[in-house]
Amino acid sequence: MKRKFKRFAAMFLLLTLLVVVIGAIPASAETPYVTYTIDGYKNITQTQTAYLAYATITKFDDVAMGAPSDIQVTDDGLIYVVDSGDTNNDISPRVLVGTMDGELVSIIGEGTLVNPKGVFVTDDKLIYVADRDAESIFIFNEDGELVNTYGKPDSPLYGDTTSFLPIKIVVNDAGIMYIICESNTNGIVEISPTDGGTFLGYFGTNYASTSLMTIIYRAILTDAQRAKMVSNIPSTPTNLGINAKGLIYTVTRGDGDDTLKLLNIAGTNLISNTDGTYADTPVAVVAGNHDNVYVADQQGYIFEYNNEGEMLFVFGGPDDGTQRVGLSSMVSGIAVDTEDRIYVLDSDKGAIQIYEPTEFTNLLHEALYLYSKGRYTESKEPLSQVLEMNSMFDYANKAMGRAYYQEEDYEMAMYYARLAKDWSGYSDAFWEIRNVWLKQYIVTVILALVAIWIVYKIIKRLDNKKHFLDKPRDWYYGLSEKPVLTDISYAFYYLKHPVDGAYGIAKEGRANYLVSTLMLVIFIVEYVVNKYTCGFLVKTVMDGRYDILSDVGTVLVVAVALTACTYLMCTINDGEGTVKKIYTFFCYSLTPYIVLTPLVYLMSHVLTNNEVFLIEMLNIVIYGWVILLAVVGLKEVNNFKTSETAKVILLTAFTALILALLIFIVYVLWAQVFEFVSAIFGEAVYRLGY
Amino acid sequence: MDTKRIRRPILLLLIACMVLGILAGCSSTPTEQHDEQTSETVVTTGEQVEASEDYVLVAESDGFRLYYYEPTFSIKLEDKTTGAIMESTLSEEKDDGKNNKSWTGYMKSGIVIYAIIGTINTYQVDMLNSENTITTWYTENGIFAEIEFPDYGFKLGVEVRLDGDDLVVRVPEYTIEEQTEGTYIYTIGLFPFLGYTHLGEENGYMLIPDGNGALIYLDDKEGRYSTGFSRMIYGTDAGLTTSTTTSYLWDKLEMVTDPNNVIAPIFGMAHTDDELAYLAIVESGDERCSIEVQPNGVMVDYNRCFARFLLRDVYTQPLNNSNSGSVKTVESDRMHTDLQVRYCLLSGDEANYSGMANAYREYLLENELVTPQDCSYQTRVDFLGSEREEFLMGTTAVTMTTVDNVRDIYAELQAAGVQNVLTVYKGWQSGGLYDLPITSYKADSSIGGTSALTDLIQDSAEEGYSIYLYNDALLVNHDTNATTYNVMKMVNKRTFELEVNGEVYDTFYYLLPSVTNAYLTKFAQDYTDEGVSTLALAGITTTLFSYSSKGSYYSRTDTMGTFADTVAALTGSTTLALETPNAFLWQYASAFLDMPLGSSDYLYVDAEIPFLSMVLKGILPMYSEYVNFEANKTENFLQMVESGIYPSFYVTWEDSSQLIYTNSKDLYSLKYSSYSDTIIDYDAQLRALAEQVEGAYIVAHETLENGLVKVSYSNGIAVFVNYTENALTADGVTVEALSYKVGEYA
Repeated sequence: MKRKFKRFAAMFLLLTLLVVVIGAIPASAETPYVTYTIDGYKNITQTQTAYLAYATITKFDDVAMGAPSDIQVTDDGLIYVVDSGDTNNDISPRVLVGTMDGELVSIIGEGTLVNPKGVFVTDDKLIYVADRDAESIFIFNEDGELVNTYGKPDSPLYGDTTSFLPIKIVVNDAGIMYIICESNTNGIVEISPTDGGTFLGYFGTNYASTSLMTIIYRAILTDAQRAKMVSNIPSTPTNLGINAKGLIYTVTRGDGDDTLKLLNIAGTNLISNTDGTYADTPVAVVAGNHDNVYVADQQGYIFEYNNEGEMLFVFGGPDDGTQRVGLSSMVSGIAVDTEDRIYVLDSDKGAIQIYEPTEFTNLLHEALYLYSKGRYTESKEPLSQVLEMNSMFDYANKAMGRAYYQEEDYEMAMYYARLAKDWSGYSDAFWEIRNVWLKQYIVTVILALVAIWIVYKIIKRLDNKKHFLDKPRDWYYGLSEKPVLTDISYAFYYLKHPVDGAYGIAKEGRANYLVSTLMLVIFIVEYVVNKYTCGFLVKTVMDGRYDILSDVGTVLVVAVALTACTYLMCTINDGEGTVKKIYTFFCYSLTPYIVLTPLVYLMSHVLTNNEVFLIEMLNIVIYGWVILLAVVGLKEVNNFKTSETAKVILLTAFTALILALLIFIVYVLWAQVFEFVSAIFGEAVYRLGY
Repeated sequence: MDTKRIRRPILLLLIACMVLGILAGCSSTPTEQHDEQTSETVVTTGEQVEASEDYVLVAESDGFRLYYYEPTFSIKLEDKTTGAIMESTLSEEKDDGKNNKSWTGYMKSGIVIYAIIGTINTYQVDMLNSENTITTWYTENGIFAEIEFPDYGFKLGVEVRLDGDDLVVRVPEYTIEEQTEGTYIYTIGLFPFLGYTHLGEENGYMLIPDGNGALIYLDDKEGRYSTGFSRMIYGTDAGLTTSTTTSYLWDKLEMVTDPNNVIAPIFGMAHTDDELAYLAIVESGDERCSIEVQPNGVMVDYNRCFARFLLRDVYTQPLNNSNSGSVKTVESDRMHTDLQVRYCLLSGDEANYSGMANAYREYLLENELVTPQDCSYQTRVDFLGSEREEFLMGTTAVTMTTVDNVRDIYAELQAAGVQNVLTVYKGWQSGGLYDLPITSYKADSSIGGTSALTDLIQDSAEEGYSIYLYNDALLVNHDTNATTYNVMKMVNKRTFELEVNGEVYDTFYYLLPSVTNAYLTKFAQDYTDEGVSTLALAGITTTLFSYSSKGSYYSRTDTMGTFADTVAALTGSTTLALETPNAFLWQYASAFLDMPLGSSDYLYVDAEIPFLSMVLKGILPMYSEYVNFEANKTENFLQMVESGIYPSFYVTWEDSSQLIYTNSKDLYSLKYSSYSDTIIDYDAQLRALAEQVEGAYIVAHETLENGLVKVSYSNGIAVFVNYTENALTADGVTVEALSYKVGEYA
């Protein structure tokens, strides 16, 4: 046993050496960062680790990186890193070529390069280096020989005074170079290799955004003052990438929300940041192998988006001082290889962090790829595996729903579409289901309606002869004689005859707190029921979310405030209305809503996106009618002229505003008092040590 | 309204506040609450160590000699068989001369104290740069030094002795004196350079207690790392830490997770060429101590590791609710315990991490800090019973796994040959998973009710399926339980709030330890009255804090005492499974839940080793974190094979998408039907493996030259694990790619 231990020790040491030489640290399953995705409601939610920190390369053999600024990985797995050099440590500017095991393959451009910032390697192994201080693009072959050099374009279109400080470059299949130049705000410089470099023009120019305030300032400031303002020039893109179709991705810092752009041949942006998921300080972008794209944020966050610019994952993060594998200090480049491994260049640590996709991510990539190619049924297999691992992954739910739709399993399609909040998918599936139902039952339904109509006619005729329905009829008419019920029926009378109705409220003692409040309560109930249980397609709140207290509160506060403000305004304008009358006509004005909302509610459950305009139309009718009733009521109850009515409405709106302001001010003052008292208390606690 | 009328009520209110404040101040003046530690008095021989220009031999054991040099309070350890040496302070020969006066003082001093003067400024106090007097006496097998720093008014005694082949260093509580008002001891580091090496001069490694265990090699790090390992044992103190500097993505997403807590108070240093190593165990004062393991390049070019005791901390006292004003304040009292570190010295074949693990296991068993348990194999299958989502004005139950569902799942597992299972049932209590605290044994009606649950537990126990009810005895949810007066207040008297990004509940509080005790005792009483006794404890097993209550200050020492007493009292009537328990609770555990398989992935870590598994395998059954949420299942499985940890699954009967509007929405993958095959497969493979090593310890663990991992058990069985993508052969055994092999191999 003892001898064995000695052997262990010896072997262990050998292993130690081995690991040190490789410089790669095996990763464990515990990642120091969380991975998020976005769900159908555009909420950011947690998901499985999408990419695991796999290894860290700090050197290629014995060669360390001085100031690495850009990285690319080619299909054969070679890593190209641009090192701007470090005069303190005698590191000259160069391009390092190595493998992911940390072996050095070659060093390119030593002696030629001055301050290289960007690198791009084409499929035929030409290495393009953007050298800022040499103001040139150098092209090397695989053996490190300088093949070609491009300097500043001499075309007058480029601009004589414009400098040529290339920092990032990509090259398309035709050999056309897209170059980002420092402090050149005209856009990406596009140079064709023909005739020793032909300037084709500027591409994908960013536009300066002009805010309303800037426009106002410009209008009122003097020239001298204007000169002092921060100049409003468009931002230069920070970095760029090219995908398999030759489309250009750019990332731009400080370009509003759209920090990531996908530009077509014409330079038009095809995507936009509708979900608010783009990086704040992006530094690099690279197209993936599945129509996807990766963006690295300077702080270490790594984003993956699909071809429509929707976020699939965000992971990684800034080093919190604990120095854990997978967290970065200052990212300057990103690359991806054929195995979907992501290489993140950290210029502060002088290291390349490699992340590898997990089983989950691989399945998702496969599924989304098949799905985007329209091979829905095939995509179901990987999708179901993805959903088995994470049933709340909404992109997968959406794709699954679409796949079922293709297979004409509409029940399942609807189920998944609702999970994924895929409204149009849900609508389509629902349309099909409704269609099937209609086909099956339409005859029965029509027959039933005809039967009901016949029975009705027969009863009516019999009644005319025998009068056996007199008793129930008398009872029914007797009902409307009872005081409360009379007033309720009056509310509905008001619905049809606003002028007469309002006159009744004003002059005939039809104002009634009890019935008005009843109307308000019915309104609230219908409002809440409709809001939370209407059909999925017109629902404005998230499934499973309820905030009824504040719904009811809002309605009550508005009702009270409106009554009060209107009353105040009416009294100073010689209106004849009392609080009771005003409250009554307001509540009675809600009757169109009370009568028609059940219809809206029913329709919301049977209509699809194709017919949803009917609901919208009905809603316009309801709200228009309510407003009409309120205005007519205001006029009649107070016995105003039309002009007076308009004036009072405006004044009421103004009063409501003032009231809101007043409440706000009181709240702020009270908060100050509270803060003051609690500060004294805090001080007392501290001094007395309790 | 005129201003006078407003002013008067405010004035009255103010006066009322003041009076209240003063009354409160008078009625209970701050008292220092700490148990009187039984600090053993040091017995000296009365003979003083004479002044000498060089090290003098002061003690000797079977294997080692202890030398002492008084002026810098330094020691030297010599292995009697090989003559190999470990020094506690930087010697003149090894001084690279690159360091400033302060660092030189730090490195050449056997004790380094940091002093707080005022409230913010800290000063380094060492034997070189600070005026001091030192008097040393001989003790039975070592020395006792009284050191005084007159400039700071500090006085303390340090006992250094050989206890068998262990070196024990102790600062008795009664010897610590802070004589100058306003000048306090912040931290004390004892022999911060013991066993140091310069750059890559020596082969070996340092052991850090991160996750299951990790090593930092003693090679030249070429200045790559600016910080090393520095973590409080048993985690940071929630009662003192007020602000965190977490960075958020888009100002709302917390992207970076916390590293693992240090659950065992240990660290180690091995010089493999010299075959000399130590495993250090912080025996006393561990609750207020950080483990510092620094590779070369962090400030200086030396590798070193030590324990740093925190005597007094600085905290922020806010003066108002908007946090616009605050003052830094020093704790009113220092820690009152002995500071004691035991260095288990290892030589020869034991001078490696396998030796360290063996030494720690022997230490734990000898001192009864773990109680050997039945370690036979069980797959852990946990269930989530009931959760809550918002509905109308309240919440409604989201039922995930009912008692009947559990019966069905058990029946299926049994039919598939799974002989026994350990289950932690979460969210069983009335009100669902986050109806906290649990004060009585009352199951949620949506899962079937209390009697159905009792029947289930009793019936399945007969079948060998043991169900432990999950109880987070630490958290309070104010939305479900109004317990305002029972929540923990931080040392600055502000209520501690744990904010979570929850759909239904977003703020939790900590219970006062005394209340935890009362609730748990009552619950256990209630529970055992029904004839069931299996309980899974969480929360208090992983958390330790200082707090203030009713004008008194309670330290982590007090909290540790209360928690230990609480758990100890439960062991009488219940069988306890503890979730990632801190070391001082191990003795009460019958199962160790959520044992980490890896480490926190620090950049400076060169190798991960299953250290805690090596220590506890065969003594305490250990269960992994949930397999569900592992992205790389194969590697995860092999790690379980390697470490002897049993797998854990978290399953529900319903689909996990049901949880989308609950606080558990992050549990994205739970559905039983997705995992049944995996559970059955893991059970078959790992059960067969576990049966071969039943009752045995892990005596050695090594990574062979070609990358094959070999784990040797005390019964002669060896497990080979191949993490690579090629078949590997060693010791005549060929292991397929990403696979393992078990057998009797020499």
